[in-house]
Order: sequence, then structure tokens, then C-alpha cells
Amino acid sequence: MKRLRLDRVASQLLAATTSPAARLSRPSSISRSIPQTCRHASLYNTQPCQRRHQSTAASQAPLEEELFLEPQDGEPTPETLRGGPLPSPHPSRAASSAKLAALHARLSLSSKIPVETLARALVDPSADAHPKYNNANLAYVGSTVLHYYASESLIARYPRLPMSILFTAMKGYAGNPALHQVARAWGVESAAAPGEEVDPGLLQFDPMKPTVVMNKWGYVRAETIESQKFKSGKGLSGRVVYGSNPFGESSAAKALPNFEVDDGRNTKTMLLQNAPANAHANFVRAVIGAVHMHCGRDASKNFVKSHFLSRTLDLSNLFEFELPTRELARLCARENFEAPVARLESETGRLSRTPVFVVGIYSGRDKLGEAPGPDLDSARVAASINALKAWYLYSPGQVSVPSDTFAEDAAPWKPAYVDIGEIIS
Amino acid sequence: MEARPVLLLHPPHQEGPEAPAAPIFPRLWRGSRPHHLQPPSAAPSVYHTPFKFLPPSDPRRQAQLSSLLRGSTGLAPTAAPTNSTTPTEREIPALGENHQVPVPKFNVTREQVAEMRALRAADPTKWSVVRLAEKFECSKLFVMICCKASAEHQARERERKEAIKARWGPIRSQAREDRKKRRTLLLRGEL
Repeated sequence: MKRLRLDRVASQLLAATTSPAARLSRPSSISRSIPQTCRHASLYNTQPCQRRHQSTAASQAPLEEELFLEPQDGEPTPETLRGGPLPSPHPSRAASSAKLAALHARLSLSSKIPVETLARALVDPSADAHPKYNNANLAYVGSTVLHYYASESLIARYPRLPMSILFTAMKGYAGNPALHQVARAWGVESAAAPGEEVDPGLLQFDPMKPTVVMNKWGYVRAETIESQKFKSGKGLSGRVVYGSNPFGESSAAKALPNFEVDDGRNTKTMLLQNAPANAHANFVRAVIGAVHMHCGRDASKNFVKSHFLSRTLDLSNLFEFELPTRELARLCARENFEAPVARLESETGRLSRTPVFVVGIYSGRDKLGEAPGPDLDSARVAASINALKAWYLYSPGQVSVPSDTFAEDAAPWKPAYVDIGEIIS
Repeated sequence: MEARPVLLLHPPHQEGPEAPAAPIFPRLWRGSRPHHLQPPSAAPSVYHTPFKFLPPSDPRRQAQLSSLLRGSTGLAPTAAPTNSTTPTEREIPALGENHQVPVPKFNVTREQVAEMRALRAADPTKWSVVRLAEKFECSKLFVMICCKASAEHQARERERKEAIKARWGPIRSQAREDRKKRRTLLLRGEL
């Protein structure tokens, strides 16, 4: 078996794209080159869909090659070819943009990352459809890097999280709303409308044009479309199996381009809900991708750690239970503990209007949880919830994650503790 | 021009009431460092995993196990304070007087289940779930697992309940709505 050269994956992103000749020689309605990303069709969808490209294999191969060709010398200058204004600012203007330099310095980016790359990260596919000049490729690399580090850190730190909480926590760390917040905190402003004349340091996107949504995760199973059609696969196992993004959602399947765009029933599901958040999040992912491509794996890991995984997310607020007392009883039976018993620790004002009862849940002589409540049953339920949260939120502390072994002088991997699964009651 | 009338609590020529004297707190500290007499009351954090929930691979388990063994054998450490709250030393609150652990009896035979179904089908009003549970000495849940009332009986019961609900005034309806909301908040841990 031939060894995979991981360092060469996506190396085409490092190619300098300073001449817009290639893009001018191509029609503007070119499709994107990443098969894992999905174009959201919108009202102005004039572009051929990805599936159509894949079915015509003869035209697909040269298209892919041509996308990553270096611009050759001696080609006609952009001015002679230019029929109209460029969709996004010329890359040569990036060096003279004060906003870009400020953003580069504010993020303490390495000098290995050119400002042209940062300028490219600020161009959303809705502003410039050409894949060599927008951030779709970089954002895809960045999203995979971000999802990998976020998921491995969550599973290693909280090995007993239920699947739904894990999905929600992934969304809390790496979802669009969180990345939108990060982009706002980085001080990124968006241009009123994309165009050649805007400052390259502004985020450029157009909410009315088709864009790229980074929500694919591996590949989409063929049954996903069927399950969408028949509204199956909505349970948690369905989300695990059919969920096509790291948050257990299969929204991407809704936007698969085999639906007819002009069908009024499907158009609504294919519209992007929050275009500014998507554009900001894609910019953040593209910056991660740029750090990963230009500075390497360690730098991108540090970048993700310091900007995303260091954010505070209180996991104990994400839980919602249905029958906590029964779930706790099932847990104790599964783990061969004594059956849980509720005991009244203390109480005050039993005959008053506002009594307080403090109930502890014991298994044998060990206390599992404790909670106050306005009546005995509420206190018992709250104490069971606290005991279950204490079980699910067990953390072994600072443990090593699999990506730690990528280092040269890393110690051999010691398997991390991961629980057998959540409690079924 | 005449001055506008002002609401004066105390006429200016009279003295107002004296300011309340500063409360005298009991002296809680000796010297310069305060002594905390008791820790502030606070709910325990759910991030503190109980000893029983630690997996066997966790190093905290070994560390706490040794202290547990020390406490049980009476070899208390001399230097460490003795106010440790390990489960063996702490008093466990007693159970309530009417506390009973339900033990499944498995006493209903197959023939009795058939008889139960026949009774329920014959006269569901007379042989209610409660009466059947009393007769066969099993739980109401078990009766409901075994028997299913006829559709007309279910409709009758539903009508009866809706008639009762229709008699409720706004206060009682609101109270029941609020109870539902409180339950939702409780299960979300927001109460």
C-alpha cells in the first residue's frame, strides 16, 4: 500500500494566486472544487450543480486540473481581458491594506502567512465564485482541523458525555454561532457589498448569492436522502448514523443538489438561514486552514486551543432529563451499585409557605448527589439530576489526547478511558 | 413669587429622627486574621465526582481508597485534621418512618392474568385498576400492563375528566399550568 503523503494534501492551497488572469479566462459560473462542501442554492442559482459535473466524467477531469494550474507568464494582462469589474478586490491590493495588516498583527499570526492569504480568507464564495479566489478551500481544511481537535479534546476530557450533549458541545465550540462570535471578537467588519473597490481587509459576502456551507463530515450516505424524504432517522441513533456534520445534523442532505431548485416546496429548505454568521464562521475556519497550511500542525493546534477550546462552555447546563430517578436506578443496576435511596439531609419551614428540603441520594453509604427543593419530590428529582450529572460529567483531568503523539519525541500512546455508553432507561 | 409647596417630612425648625446606630456584630476575629466560623452554604458542584463514580483507572480512586482504609481501621493520621467527611465517618441521615423499598413479588400466575383480563373486560367500572391491584396483590402498573380497557370505557373516562376540568376556574387552571412549567424547569435543572 502506498503511503499517504498527508503533508501534500491540500498543498494546492499554498499556490500563490496573484494574477486574476486564470479567473478571467474562466466563466464566472464555475462550480467549486471541494466535493465535501455543499452549495446552498438560492434565488439566483444559475450555476450547474456538483452532481451534474460528476456525471460527465470527461469534462470533470480537465476542470479539476485546470483549477490548480499556476498562472503562466505571457498571458494577457487582466486589463485587456477585463470585461467588467472583478467580483472581489485584486490580491495585489492586500499588501497596501491597513485593515489587513492590523488584523494580521492583532491575531499574532506568523510572518509565514502572507496577507494575501488573509485577504483570500475574507472572500466568501457568495462574493467571488472562483475557487482560487474565495475561502472555500481554506475553510474546509480549517473546519476539519477545528472539528478534530474539538472532538478529541471533548471525548478525552469528558469520556462519559451522552451523544446528544457531545453534539451540542461540539456546536458550542465549533458551530457557526460560536465562530461568528470569535470573528466579531477578532474585530472583523464586513463590507456593505462585495466588489473590486472595497478594502481587502473587510469580510465580503452577499446574502443573496449561493455560498458554501461547511457542514459535511466524511461523506453523506446514500440513504440519507431517502431518510430525509420519509422523515426517518430523526432519533439519536439516526443522528449518529445519518448525521452528516459533527453536530449530528443532516441539514446538508436537505441542500443536496438533486432537488429541483425551482420546486417551490424544496426552495425554502435550501435557503441559508443566517448568511452573515455563515460568512463570518467560514472566515474563521479559513484562518485556521491558513495557519495549518502555512505554519504546520503544531501551530494550528495551538491556534485552535488558544482561540476556541479555551472558551468557556458550561456543560452542566446542557442537560435535560425525562425520568431522572429511573435513569439513576438503571445506572446503579448497570454498575452493580446498591440501589439509590433518597434521604432527607435537613429541612426548614415544613409548615410554612416556603419550606426548603435538602435531599441527598445515597447508594449504600456513599452520597451520589444532593439538592435543595421546595417540596420533597422536587428535591429528590433535583438530587437525582445532580447525581446523574456528576456521573456524566466525570473528567479524568488533564489527559493526553491522540494528537499529542504526533510530536517527534512523544511518549507512546496510553489508551484513554472512554465510558461504555449512556444509560438507557 | 410664592415658593412652591414642598413635601417636607420634617419641618426645618424641628430635629429629624436620629440615625440608626451601627449594628454591633459579634467579634469574629482574633488579632488581624478573621476566623471563618462556618463555611458559606452552597450547593455542591456537579463537577466533583463522587467516590463511587470514579472508574477503576482513576488515580483519585487509589488516593481516596487509602484514606478510607485508614479511617476504617482506626489508624487515623496524627497531623491531618479529623474533620474529614469520608463516608465511613459521616453520619448518614436516617430513612423516613414509612420508607419501604418496593420488592417485586412475582405472585400473579398466568391463569390469574387471564381472570384479571376477563374481569376488566366484563365490567371496567366496577373492576377498576385500583381494585384489580388490590384483589391480585400486585402493582397498578402491572394491571395496566396486563389489561387494556375498551375504547368506549376510555372515551367515557376521558369525557368525565374533561367535565371535571371544565368546572375549574381560572385560578386552578393557571395553577396547574404553572405546575407543568415548574416541572419542565426542574427537569432542565433551571429551578
